[in-house]
Amino acid sequence: MNSAWFVFIGFAAALLFVGLYALLTMRNVIKLLIGVEVIGKSVTLVLLATGFVKNNILLAQSLVITVIVVEVSLIATALALVINIARHTKSLDVRKLAKLKG
Amino acid sequence: MIFLYIGLPLLVAALLPLIGKVSKKVLPDILANGVILVLLILAVTSGRQLIGRGPVTQQLGILGTTVGITVAIDAFSLFMLMAIALVTLCVGLFSIDYMEHYGAKANYYALLLMMVAGMNGLVLVSDLFQVYLFLEVAAIASYALVAYGLEHDELEASFKYLMLSVIASTAILISIAILFGTTGGLGFAAVAEGLRSLDAKAVTGVCAALFIMGFGLKAALVPFHAWLPDAHPSAPAPISAILSGLLIKVSGVYALARIVFNVFGLTPALSEVLMGLGAISIVVAALLALGQTDMKRMLAYSSISQVGYVVLGLGLGTPLGIAGGLFHLFNHALGKGLLFLNSGSIQMSTGTRDLDEMGGLAKRMPVTAATNLIGSLSIAGVPPLAGFWSKLLIIMGLVQAKQGALAVIAILASVLTLWYYLIIQRKAFFGKLEARWKDVKEAPFWMTVATVILALLTIGVGVFFAAVVKGWIQPASDVLAGGLPGALASWRF
Amino acid sequence: MWGQILLLIAVVVFSAFAVLAKDLIKSAISLAVASLFLGLLFFQMRAPYAGVFEISVVAGLITVLFMLVIALTKTGGDVRESKLATLGFPLFFVVFAVIDLIVMKGLLAKLPALAGPAESGTFGDVLWKQRTFDLVGQLGVILAGVFAVLALFRKRDNKDE
Repeated sequence: MNSAWFVFIGFAAALLFVGLYALLTMRNVIKLLIGVEVIGKSVTLVLLATGFVKNNILLAQSLVITVIVVEVSLIATALALVINIARHTKSLDVRKLAKLKG
Repeated sequence: MIFLYIGLPLLVAALLPLIGKVSKKVLPDILANGVILVLLILAVTSGRQLIGRGPVTQQLGILGTTVGITVAIDAFSLFMLMAIALVTLCVGLFSIDYMEHYGAKANYYALLLMMVAGMNGLVLVSDLFQVYLFLEVAAIASYALVAYGLEHDELEASFKYLMLSVIASTAILISIAILFGTTGGLGFAAVAEGLRSLDAKAVTGVCAALFIMGFGLKAALVPFHAWLPDAHPSAPAPISAILSGLLIKVSGVYALARIVFNVFGLTPALSEVLMGLGAISIVVAALLALGQTDMKRMLAYSSISQVGYVVLGLGLGTPLGIAGGLFHLFNHALGKGLLFLNSGSIQMSTGTRDLDEMGGLAKRMPVTAATNLIGSLSIAGVPPLAGFWSKLLIIMGLVQAKQGALAVIAILASVLTLWYYLIIQRKAFFGKLEARWKDVKEAPFWMTVATVILALLTIGVGVFFAAVVKGWIQPASDVLAGGLPGALASWRF
Repeated sequence: MWGQILLLIAVVVFSAFAVLAKDLIKSAISLAVASLFLGLLFFQMRAPYAGVFEISVVAGLITVLFMLVIALTKTGGDVRESKLATLGFPLFFVVFAVIDLIVMKGLLAKLPALAGPAESGTFGDVLWKQRTFDLVGQLGVILAGVFAVLALFRKRDNKDE
């Protein structure tokens, strides 16, 4: 794997860090979902970069498209959950949400 | 036609909301349960014939041209298909009565069938990326089903479950990307061959670790279990049954086992990690179960513990261990499904899940009490019920492999398991009948039918365990124990 | 190479801004801009279909969904994020970036790889003929998502459980 791959992976790791940082520290549930989106970008970048350096760009593209479709469905469900949460707790704060012990 | 396992639930699910507008109750009930029944009959009858001479792969053709849809079925997949159809049928029957007051039954059945389609798809593919894809299909359906009641607890549990699942999916996809990068392929056979010819230990290690993190999270192994004790109690009872009984095993244990055994090959290091995670799950979850007063929460922690047994058996890697692990997977699916359904019966009749509020229900709900006892004893491992034999196989396997310490842990945890199940039985069913419960009724017809079926199966599998092991478990465990050579030989398409 | 690195930096910067911004609308727009740059990067990597999808779906559709939800959930009072998280981010990020650089340099050229199969045919061939099962899966997730949203927004006629 040539060095170009590692450049892409390095940036993808940075994106992953940003996304995980959001999931770990943010209190607004919508910010949490933005974190999920950023993680999604990171993953599609990794997939496409891998295909790019292996000259398998067509296969990588179809994988990325499928992952994007999954992401849309996931975000739609999550946003539906968020709307319900906002109706119930009258707030978007994840701390008001967390009642269960886990 | 193997693709029917995926196509039929998908098709009926797509039609259900339209049908639901016409007939709110009867038709969706009949259709949904009918579909599952058809799949069960398919699995039990024609499935065995199909794989009689070894694994089968089918490439679909539409209007003469072959399409890129290849389904592969072997003994392990067929075993899972049978388990999925069986437990889902009982869950579906239970839902006929239980989901009445939740509303939008057609929609519920549609989501249930999508989860089945996703699970069936997962066990029938032979491509890493498609494992991820069908895992997501089942997962998205499950997020909505966990939140189905739309109350605070359900929403919180579903949201937490969703967030953690995203991390799992990410880990899995990154591992798939790395494997694609090093071996140039995505199918099981291509990746397995590629890894063997490269002999890349570091890559295998990193990818295996990512897969264990991802699939371990879906299987709720300790320390990845944090979502389960909230999600499974909050979901409606039949959904708790199918989540604990099937989803964590199909999207967690099956996927991990398939990849570890048939793609990576079980190395001693992997074996130790899996056995360690299994043992930790068994002990930690059993201890955490003891302190619970919410019946469904206790059952949820018990699920984590029993999945630990399954992973311990599979991680052992010997034929006895694998057979024990798979058998326990099946028995736990039956038993835990039964127990969660009973919790639903209790919740419907009394309105509570709190063990301290219940008491003496056996006098008013005798069938529920009896089936609950059977399910509890089976999972705790009391002979001659099913769970005893599967736990025995696992312990024998451990002893045979000179893992005495783990065998002792497994036995002691079994005692713990029996203890907390007897706590449930005593607090809920035996003892003095509380005054406020003196008018509760036994569960409605279909709910009782479902639990009785599962109880009878638990007894039957326990009594006829030899036949079950020889007919279903042995072929499945051979596929895994055969490891790489077996898989490579069979996936030549 | 340098054009790609610039685009990558832009994606990371706008994603970080999307996470840290106080106003949700600015956050969503910043995410859209990040997706735009990612899509352009995909074009640069000779992956036009992925680029189109990224721009139209992630930068377009998902941003619209976010805007919709932000508008529908305008509750009284904003959620104040922890000051430590917002102010501490640059520090944590720099630390991470340094570790990232060191790890990547260390792994350079240590990853063995087999040459993949040569690609033949057009993108249409690969997607529709080779990865047809993925399309079945896509249908599955879309249906699951539709039913999930329908279930989560259904009318409750009785308020009791």
